[in-house]
Amino acid sequence: MKYTEKQIKEGIKLHLIQNDRFKTNLMAVFLTVPLDKKTVTQNAILPAVLRRGTKNMQTQEEISIELEEMYGAVFDCGVEKEGDNQILKFYIEVINDEFIPEEDKGLSKKAIYNLLDIVFNPNIKENAFKIEYVEQEKANLKHIIEGRTDNKARYALERCIEEMYKNESYSLYKYGYIEDIENIKNDNLYTSYKQLVENCKIDIYISGIINEDLIQNIEENENIKSLKPRTPKYIKNEVKSKKDIEKINIISENLDVTQGKLVLGLKLLLENLDQQYDAIIYNGILGGTANSKLFQNVREKASLAYTAGSSYVRMKNTIYINCGIEIENYQKALDIIKKQIEDMKLGNFTEEEVENAKKGYISALKAVENEQDSELIYYFGKEFNKNELSFEDYQKRIEKVKKEDVLKVAELVKLDTIYFLQNGSIKIDNIRR
Amino acid sequence: MQIIHNSKVKETLYIEKLKNGLTVMIIPKKNVQKKYIIWGTNYGSNDSSFIVPGEDKVTNVPKGVAHFLEHKMFEQKNGRNSLDVLTEIGVSANAYTTNDHTAYLYECTDNFYEALDEFMDYVQNPYFTDENVEKEKGIIGQEIMMYDDYPEWKVYLNALEAMYHENPVKLDITGTIETISKIDKDILYKCYNTFYHPSNMVMVVSGDFEPENLLEEIKKRLLPVEPRGEIKRIYPEEPESIVKEKVEQKMEVSRPLYAIGIKLKLLSDLKSEEIVRKNIIVQILLNLLLGESSQIYKKLYDSGNISYSPVMDFEFSKTYAHILISGQAEEPEVLYNELKKQINNFKKGNIKKEDFQRLKKTLYGEYVKEYNDVSEIARMFLVDYFKGVNSFEYLEQIESVQYEEILQTLNEYFDENKMVLSVVKA
Repeated sequence: MKYTEKQIKEGIKLHLIQNDRFKTNLMAVFLTVPLDKKTVTQNAILPAVLRRGTKNMQTQEEISIELEEMYGAVFDCGVEKEGDNQILKFYIEVINDEFIPEEDKGLSKKAIYNLLDIVFNPNIKENAFKIEYVEQEKANLKHIIEGRTDNKARYALERCIEEMYKNESYSLYKYGYIEDIENIKNDNLYTSYKQLVENCKIDIYISGIINEDLIQNIEENENIKSLKPRTPKYIKNEVKSKKDIEKINIISENLDVTQGKLVLGLKLLLENLDQQYDAIIYNGILGGTANSKLFQNVREKASLAYTAGSSYVRMKNTIYINCGIEIENYQKALDIIKKQIEDMKLGNFTEEEVENAKKGYISALKAVENEQDSELIYYFGKEFNKNELSFEDYQKRIEKVKKEDVLKVAELVKLDTIYFLQNGSIKIDNIRR
Repeated sequence: MQIIHNSKVKETLYIEKLKNGLTVMIIPKKNVQKKYIIWGTNYGSNDSSFIVPGEDKVTNVPKGVAHFLEHKMFEQKNGRNSLDVLTEIGVSANAYTTNDHTAYLYECTDNFYEALDEFMDYVQNPYFTDENVEKEKGIIGQEIMMYDDYPEWKVYLNALEAMYHENPVKLDITGTIETISKIDKDILYKCYNTFYHPSNMVMVVSGDFEPENLLEEIKKRLLPVEPRGEIKRIYPEEPESIVKEKVEQKMEVSRPLYAIGIKLKLLSDLKSEEIVRKNIIVQILLNLLLGESSQIYKKLYDSGNISYSPVMDFEFSKTYAHILISGQAEEPEVLYNELKKQINNFKKGNIKKEDFQRLKKTLYGEYVKEYNDVSEIARMFLVDYFKGVNSFEYLEQIESVQYEEILQTLNEYFDENKMVLSVVKA
């Protein structure tokens, strides 16, 4: 495995992940812009409109047929939130030439060309997208936003984040807002698309068996040539100044649920970015694995839940604890969870637990190289981290974590928000900061 | 060991049936750090009525025992939980239960053999007490309630209930709060002793291994067992007809969810290569009917009825076979009627040859992709094994599938009167 990057133009990077473990080549184009209420909705609709047709493949049907002809090349696109950034993602996955008959070889070049065509060469008439594409995708986006409550566990987590970062751009929903959909028109959407493409950070990834020709092909691609250099704005991961949390947010919301979804948002007031590696291990001990404190005490000992765990969001230095519980057991579960956080602060965990969490994390880290998409996302994550470490140094840094480092992180953990999604059968007073 | 090489994906399968009856399959992958092992027993939620070898009376157990057993297998006599022990050494372990099998698995990059000690120890040594069985009822109760909040799960189960009169495939794998309340340690031991005999099990491993060495390591860790006769499984007679065509449930969802079921003739009397062929044909057919390049998809997408392509599955075992097509639609009824119409149209021979050729290529590509990841490879070989199929067969057979077979299968297997529509909406 070999990772290299090459700046094609200022603000436009080509990332190459040489890897012969897979039967496929995976290619991606990521467009990154800062999250902003003014643009979040129109950005969210763009991938869906772009996939409807290009100058060369004018309809979605033509695109589908082309992909099927390429031994089922898979195109995918979407929108994600990475810290305070909104990312428009476009992927294509195609079988390696090694595994297809002679007459059809050359699929990788075709794939990346088609991908670039979808992103940068839309089907435009008179400075506007096709009106029916835009209107249909507006309706689809509306469905997505309205469907937000369909997955209750995910909804609870997103709501906790919203409450925790009220009035900050990070609280924005990645798909945007219904009230902003109406203002999108086929011409103003094209104008904002042009602005986006001119100014955004562009990252192009190629993972798999890559030969020199392919790299040259990309640089010679007309769509790439037409892009101008830029100095993109985007937001890197950093440690924000310390801010004490005086009051805990408590939010209870009612929906038609059988099981209550409890989410706790914790802020990590880290002193420096290097502490993030200790925080990873802190999270592992608290709720990251099956022998974590949360899993053991909420699920195994108290038998209160089937899911119980936590995850660490590095970009924002927050930890989210979540579990699905019987609604009546709210207080009981909350008490047990708080006790685990307290126990971490008091140092009630062993050297062995630290070592186990490290082993678990390193194992997961090594496995990253064996999954093409995880590997690609791992490298993309480096774009946002100032103290970027190589794969090997990352592992070494985790190996160095000691109990006292984890304890130091534990002392910097502050419970910020308690969010409970229930059906109204118990009374909890909302306390909003 | 028997060695089977596949030149299309350039992978090799090593297979051995051990004296105690256990089948071991190894698919080595050079230069990959990740290692994956899965050990399954041919015992799932459908097996709740059976005759233990050597007995003559039928044993009936409550629904949900297979899944309950899966949860309890991790508990050890020394008070430890094997899931914890494995996690401690950096190994990610899990288990799952389906209609026809239960499987235990782990993946890791280091400590594979240390983990194998624990893994093979806990699967071979159950430890159930009244207390630990009672405790699990709370956890599984929450798991059942979690599924109650998934409309996708409800719409799926309702479709199965509409298709099947008697076959237990229509029931929840977990059982219900009521049925699991009847489970005790004696029932668990009885089912364990019946179904966890090596002759009823298969182990599949993929990763950077020397197959012969790995096989020796596995043998070393197997406990001696007496050979044993066959388990007689009793499944209720299932009429060919469906129960009812349409079923609807109200739930808080933003857009209606649908699951269309097509009950098919059983494949159980077919030879394994014919099963594979049928599977290939059905997959191509489904994509011709509703794939992203299909007429129906275009029509429904443009009219705003659907916004993504349906998920299409062909599910079968020895006692059932059906197709399930699911997704979200503004008006599921419209999609359902379009589908019926198109099936009839196809039956008249209105399928383009070029579409068939293209979708064959697509499917070939999908099969090749299955070999990207050791976990996918091992799981695929295990699941196919329980269906009586060697996974390589798909790559071998697809090239020779002919256009004419599509029509044949369509006419033989797709019956308009055996279609159901399940909808969940607000």
